[in-house]
Amino acid sequence: MKSIFLFLIIAFSMTSCIEIIDDISMNPDGSGTFKYNVNLSSSKVKLNSYLALDSLDGKKVPSRDEIKGRVNHFIYLMEQKNGISNVFVETDLENYIIKMSCDFKSVRILQDALTKSLQEELKEEKPLLDDNSDWLTWTDESFNRSIPDYTIKKTKELKVEEINLLKQGNYICITRFNRPVKNCSNENAIIAKNKLAVMLKTNAYSLTQNLNLLENTIYLSPLKP
Amino acid sequence: MKLFSLFAILSLSITSVYSQKSEDYIPTDAVTVFSLNNIALLQKVSLDDLVKYEFMAELEQELFDGSTSGKSIKESGIDFDQKLNIFYGKGDKYEVAGFSFGIKDINQLFTVFDDFDEQVSPLENVKYYTSYFNHLLIRGKVGLLIRVDPLSGAIRQVADSIWYSRGNENVPYYYYEGGYLEEDLEPIDEDYLEEEWDEAEPATEEVFDVEDELEVLEDGDDYIYDEDIASKNYAELRDSVYNELQQEYLNRIVVDLIVNNRNLRKEDKDLASLLEHTSEGVFYLDNSRNVAKSQSFFYLQSILPALHNEIKDLYTGNKIMGDLLLNESSIEAKMTANYGEALGSIYSALNDTKFDKKTTKYIHKDNSAYFTYNVNLRQAYEKAYEIVMPLLRDEKNNRVATSVLTIELLNALVDKDAVFDTYRGSMFGTFNGVKKVMVRRIDYTYDEDFNYTETEVESEEDLPIFTLGFSTKRNDIPNIVLEQLAKVTSECKNMGKYWIFENAILNSVPLYIINKNDLFILTNDEDLAVNHSDGYGADKISRKQIKKTKKSGFVYGQIDWSKTISQLPRELFTAEQNELLDAMRGKTGMMTLTSSKTSNTSTNFNINYDFNGTYDNPGQYILDLVNSLYILMK
Repeated sequence: MKSIFLFLIIAFSMTSCIEIIDDISMNPDGSGTFKYNVNLSSSKVKLNSYLALDSLDGKKVPSRDEIKGRVNHFIYLMEQKNGISNVFVETDLENYIIKMSCDFKSVRILQDALTKSLQEELKEEKPLLDDNSDWLTWTDESFNRSIPDYTIKKTKELKVEEINLLKQGNYICITRFNRPVKNCSNENAIIAKNKLAVMLKTNAYSLTQNLNLLENTIYLSPLKP
Repeated sequence: MKLFSLFAILSLSITSVYSQKSEDYIPTDAVTVFSLNNIALLQKVSLDDLVKYEFMAELEQELFDGSTSGKSIKESGIDFDQKLNIFYGKGDKYEVAGFSFGIKDINQLFTVFDDFDEQVSPLENVKYYTSYFNHLLIRGKVGLLIRVDPLSGAIRQVADSIWYSRGNENVPYYYYEGGYLEEDLEPIDEDYLEEEWDEAEPATEEVFDVEDELEVLEDGDDYIYDEDIASKNYAELRDSVYNELQQEYLNRIVVDLIVNNRNLRKEDKDLASLLEHTSEGVFYLDNSRNVAKSQSFFYLQSILPALHNEIKDLYTGNKIMGDLLLNESSIEAKMTANYGEALGSIYSALNDTKFDKKTTKYIHKDNSAYFTYNVNLRQAYEKAYEIVMPLLRDEKNNRVATSVLTIELLNALVDKDAVFDTYRGSMFGTFNGVKKVMVRRIDYTYDEDFNYTETEVESEEDLPIFTLGFSTKRNDIPNIVLEQLAKVTSECKNMGKYWIFENAILNSVPLYIINKNDLFILTNDEDLAVNHSDGYGADKISRKQIKKTKKSGFVYGQIDWSKTISQLPRELFTAEQNELLDAMRGKTGMMTLTSSKTSNTSTNFNINYDFNGTYDNPGQYILDLVNSLYILMK
């Protein structure tokens, strides 16, 4: 697993870098669809050169098969979780694009499934997240998103030079609804023309410097009686 | 604590040896040694710059935590009339790194070593300080800064034994060292081991005895059982074992050096004589010990001890030694690679060949760097067959006998002329700067409702242009392979004067193959393949340069720093490699590597760095060269 971490560290160290799209579509009953795209195609020459090596800085560089295997295993773990269905992954290691999607019964189930699958995949002994720590909350009137605690912890472990390399990476967070958005708390968020979606775009470097950049509460128009 | 208790047990009366110099504190475990004689040259070097070198990195940056800011070596309390000896060694259980030096002003020294805390020293006339994993011993006017790190194999051996002896089941499988999973380790065939151990004489010196190791651990006052070892998880157990072994190995080294008065200068006459040289610095690499301690040799020693001894004899005396010389506008490293006669006769046969002049047609006069390597693989094969095969034939072992039979049959049946005419061993390589190549990437475009679509766009990336060519007398044989490849994949095409293999390099850019004129050339230089498949003609390197290249023994290399370093794209290197390259950025001049003819006992090499200018800071240049050699020799 450490080798997969190395791959991710390499991926995050690309100068010309990474694009992540985090896309949640909510249904009126609180269920929804989660899509997560990681696009490293602009760094593929460098990634190819790293993957041609056996090891880097004393650590084994994973093979393409190992990367695929680990991604598939994560998907397998997600599939086992109650309330999660239609889990799908597409791993394009020619262009270095990984797309994952799944349906969920509630955002609570989604965040638990992601956290537990990640914990199992990383073989972490201690829970990554407290039971009552929420980074996704849904009510009939609003939807709140923030950054999970373990991401904050991992970010703090990054070296200064690794953080500096993230300057050209983008993190795009999209949330979709089936009724219009009234407004949202984050002034950098943009509401779609059809009022049914909100996009928050930040660069990966800024995100490491200010983890509140993605903090956003989206207020929805009232439900029709 | 254990260090001191062991010292106390020894209770030896130590006689002060004030006559000893810094070079008497090089441990016998050191395999690589750099000894700088004229360290007055280093006075201008700032300590901030010094700690950036790789040979200092072994001692961790924590050694100098900012207290060195703005200071030079001159202000460090070091005695410039004594040598500065940098050493490194890696055995099968631990690695050791450090340096020994003379001390002029101990108070000034501790303005630099301000993180070190004095410990109670049981050794008479020896002061002992520690900082994290670094240890500083001061005896008279000599300081020894040393760090000892147990290797993961040694730690695991002890930790696993304790873990299992406590009744635990398997070691957590995800716990591994250095990023390698357990399943990545090469398994040893169990049947084979059982079969061989009956016949093989066990190498008792290297056999690990759990009881002994546990006893050693228990002897310490701060033995880990005191901390309720039973409650430790595997990771904590490994940490404890690491600390204990580190102390144990440090004890051995320090006792050997200070109590037993054994050091590498005393033990190795070659090093002793080298240390008498009056050049600016000397360096020493005992390759025979590197080879003997390599992992494959360890297996050989366990399984085929007789063959191990024979092969070890082959490598006896395999040492690289040399001088660093500071000339008016250049720095020179003169090295001699020494070896025994048996191995030397193989090297001698390998290097006994004529320079392949055809290669020079493909080296452009404006190249940034190039090398040529001339060997006679056929002759070396025959000589190696003559020397190594009798050793293998004498081994009474089924597996070796099977290998001997296979080799002898291949030797008798295979057309060696065809093999060695196809791959003769001689080669050349060039670096011709970087060029922009177009690569495709996927971009996402969003509409006003944030629905997104993928679009393929082209972008430019810098790619270094390399050429690698091999001498051959049989262009027809690679042609057979290429023609078949072209039938199997549409990415391989015959373009007449050259072949092209699409997306062969980094899955993004084409590789060109020129297979003619008794050369087999691989390059990503489109211009060379398309426009100069018969060579650069008048634009090849000058006659004078060809003469110089030809005159060198089996190897010649040169790098134009000003062209090469600035052209290398940072993205293709790791952070550490870039740090090294950064140290060379801004420097100009030419570095050349030449070699002498190879004799049965030695080959001389010469690295000359001509920086075409006056000395701004000669110490910096010396340290740059020491650093490069240190990295190469590690």
